[in-house]
Parts: sequence; C-alpha cells; structure tokens
Amino acid sequence: MKTFLKKVAAQSPWLYRINAGSCNGCDVELATTACISRYDVERLGCKYCGSPKHADIVLITGPMTTRVKEKVLRLYAEIPDPKVTVAVGICPISCGVFRDSYAIEGPIDKYFPVDINVPGCPPRPQAIIEGIAEAISVWRTRL
Amino acid sequence: MLEMLSPFFHLLLFPGGLFALACGLLLKGVDRKVAARLQRRIGPPLHQPFVDLIKLWHKDSSVPETAQSRVFAWAPHVGVTGMALAALLIPIGGVYTPSGAYGDLLVLLYLLAVPAVALMIGGAASGSPFGAIGFSREMSMMLAYEGPLLLALLSVALKVGLATGGVATFSLAEIVRYQQAHGALLFDPVMWPAVVTFLFVIPANLGVVPFDIPEAESEILEGPLLEYSGKELGLFQIMSALKMVVVLGLGVTLFCPTAPGGLLLSLAWFIFKCLVLMVASVTVVRSATGRLRIDQAFSFYFKWPEALGVASLILVLTTRNFP
Repeated sequence: MKTFLKKVAAQSPWLYRINAGSCNGCDVELATTACISRYDVERLGCKYCGSPKHADIVLITGPMTTRVKEKVLRLYAEIPDPKVTVAVGICPISCGVFRDSYAIEGPIDKYFPVDINVPGCPPRPQAIIEGIAEAISVWRTRL
Repeated sequence: MLEMLSPFFHLLLFPGGLFALACGLLLKGVDRKVAARLQRRIGPPLHQPFVDLIKLWHKDSSVPETAQSRVFAWAPHVGVTGMALAALLIPIGGVYTPSGAYGDLLVLLYLLAVPAVALMIGGAASGSPFGAIGFSREMSMMLAYEGPLLLALLSVALKVGLATGGVATFSLAEIVRYQQAHGALLFDPVMWPAVVTFLFVIPANLGVVPFDIPEAESEILEGPLLEYSGKELGLFQIMSALKMVVVLGLGVTLFCPTAPGGLLLSLAWFIFKCLVLMVASVTVVRSATGRLRIDQAFSFYFKWPEALGVASLILVLTTRNFP
C-alpha cells in the first residue's frame, strides 16, 4: 500500500524556478514549456508553483553571481525534502561565457548537489522537458 | 441508535466528507483538463488533483521561525472543518435533503466565509510580508463579493417565501421542494438577474483567475499559502476542493435542483449540473482572461453584480402575485 501511494505521488512533481543571475534566455525557454501549447509540461503532471515551499523539482538558471548567492542558498534551503535539482543552460553547469569573471561565484554544484544537467545556451524546450522527465525518474527513487 | 449516527454519516461519508472531497477533486481535475484543451494543450490526467494530494502527504512540512506556530498550524484545520460542515447543508435533488436541525441558508452563508477567514488567519500568522498582502487582498475581495452573493441568495429566498405565502424562507429544503413542484427558477425570467449575479460571484468566491488576486502566484507568491508546505498545504487543497462543491452545489440548489428520479441517476444529474456550472463560470472565464488588479476587481463588484443584485431584488418584489 505504501509503495503504491509513493508510486502515485511521483506523478505530481511541482516545478520551481530559481534565477541565479541568468541573462533571462533560459527563463524564457522555461516559460515556453508552460505557456506554449506545443510544449505542454503540465501533461507530465507538473505545475509551476510560486512558492519554494511547494516545490519538488528545482530548475536553476544562471551562473550564480555574487549578488544573488546568499539569496539562492537561502531559497534552496527553504525547499522541503525530497527534492531534485536540475541545472538549466550552460551557465549553472560551467558558468558559460561568464567564466572567470570577478562577479561570478559559480558553477552551481560547488554549493549543492545537481542531479540533472540540461546544457545549451539556451537549451531547446524539448531538451528542458526531457530533463524534467529525467528528474521525475530520479525523484521517484527519493520519495 | 441509527438515528444518532446519521449526522456523523452525513458529515464524514455522504454528502459531506469523503463524497464531497472526491467530487471536488474530480471537478478540479476536469477544470484543469478542460482549461488545457481550451488552450490547445494536452493537459494533466483527470485524476491529477488526487495525485497532488497524495504527494503533499509525502512531503516534509515546516513552520517558519517568524510564524505564530500554533495559529499557523490550526488555520487550515478551521477551514476544512467549516467547509465540511457547509457540505452537509447542500441538498442533492432526489437523493438528500438536509435536516432543518443542521442549519439553513443563513448558516451556509456564514460557513461560506470560513475558508477566506482561514486563509486570512494563516497568512497573517505566517509572519511573511506576502502573507500580509494576501490577507489584505483577501479581505477586500470578501467585502466586494459578499454583497452581491447576499443579494442573490435573498432574491431566491424572497421569491420562494412570497410564493408560498410567507415573507422570505431561508430553509434549503423548502427552496428545493418549491422548485420541484413549480419548475426550476433558472427558467423564470424574473430570476435571471439573480442567476447572473451568482455567476459573477462564483469566480471571486473560489479565487480563480481573473479574481485570484489574494493568491496571485506570479506577483505575491501565492500570498497566504506561501509559507505552507506538505500536509498543511494539502489541507488547504482539501478545503478548496470542498468549497468548489459547496459553492457550485449551492448554485444548483438555488436555481435548478430538479431531479429525474432514481437514486443513482439523480446523483449523476447533480454532478453533471455542477460540472456544467463550473465549466461555464470557472474554466472558460479563467482560460480567457488575465488577472485584474485588486482595485479593478473591487470596483467591478461594486458596480455590476451589486446593481444586478439590487435589480433582481426589486424585480422579485414587484412581480409577486398579489392574493
């Protein structure tokens, strides 16, 4: 019974976006996965939620600039367990074109574990949805 | 012995409690699916709200350091209790008539305010500035839509009361009985302003776009719900599912409670009417519009629904049959 309920629960991953100093390109692509009917992410049971406390899957964009670092770490700590982290775009993975800048504290996996990488500048919506689907399969094992 | 148990049965299983919850979650699932199809998306499966609820039961829940922890933890319980009691009062034509001992239309009107109050208390106790903004917006919305709601209810109460020889009847059983004898009020042109007023009130009462201003997730991060997580958030979901059934069921009761006869058929007919009402007043509206500002919504409710409600009241009073 318990395993059945967990299996059912895994079909309802809620998404939360953290912008760690992104140029907004990846955020626009994230918005297309929800707003453009062709790339409907809601069919996987996902829902973009406004509060970090409701989140199951965290989508992080941006190279972690010095100014947002404290806030991002605080936000990440607010998200209740179990959670899965997805790095969207090349910036959170390797800081991309902003590497070696004095204002960049990235990459993101220096601060917390990243489960899925979705590279691209920006990644295509299909790639993001594939990343989310991968994240759901990781999340299923953590419930 | 059975007599003593029946209120508990009504509260926990049918028509309150489990039945109302399942019904509400199903309505929400249909709402999400139809909204997605209207936007040419595929959308989540119909059972998605059930899954969400089970998921929330598996998540951690936390109380913020700045919160009034006891009030914060109890607010969702208050909301759910209020709505479960309200579900007890909704008659289902041909299946269930609430006993007069449970309460009448006036009690229902007070119970309908409980979820909004629970949200306000929870938001205020969460210690978050977004919760406080949500609190004040929820309060303004309530002030705006309670007036037209009251006028619509009063029109029906007066119509039925005057027709049966009294002044105004607030008994739900009486309202259903009158309509089953004389035909649904929905088909009486005199009642159309009241119907429209009630249709206007539904989206604000249920807190959906364009009137989801207190819980706007893109501007104030879901307001009062911001700090809630896990089971407490699940309780708020249960509350809103029950509220969906209560508000839509109230609409069906007031304007079209006729039943085809036969227990199962009547039940299915009731759910079907709720579905139609929901798609017309919630789903289509929310997928076609954007969120209003709080002052726009406030002045909207004070202009059109309020005026329609007053017009409906005057219409009912002037067209009564003089003996």
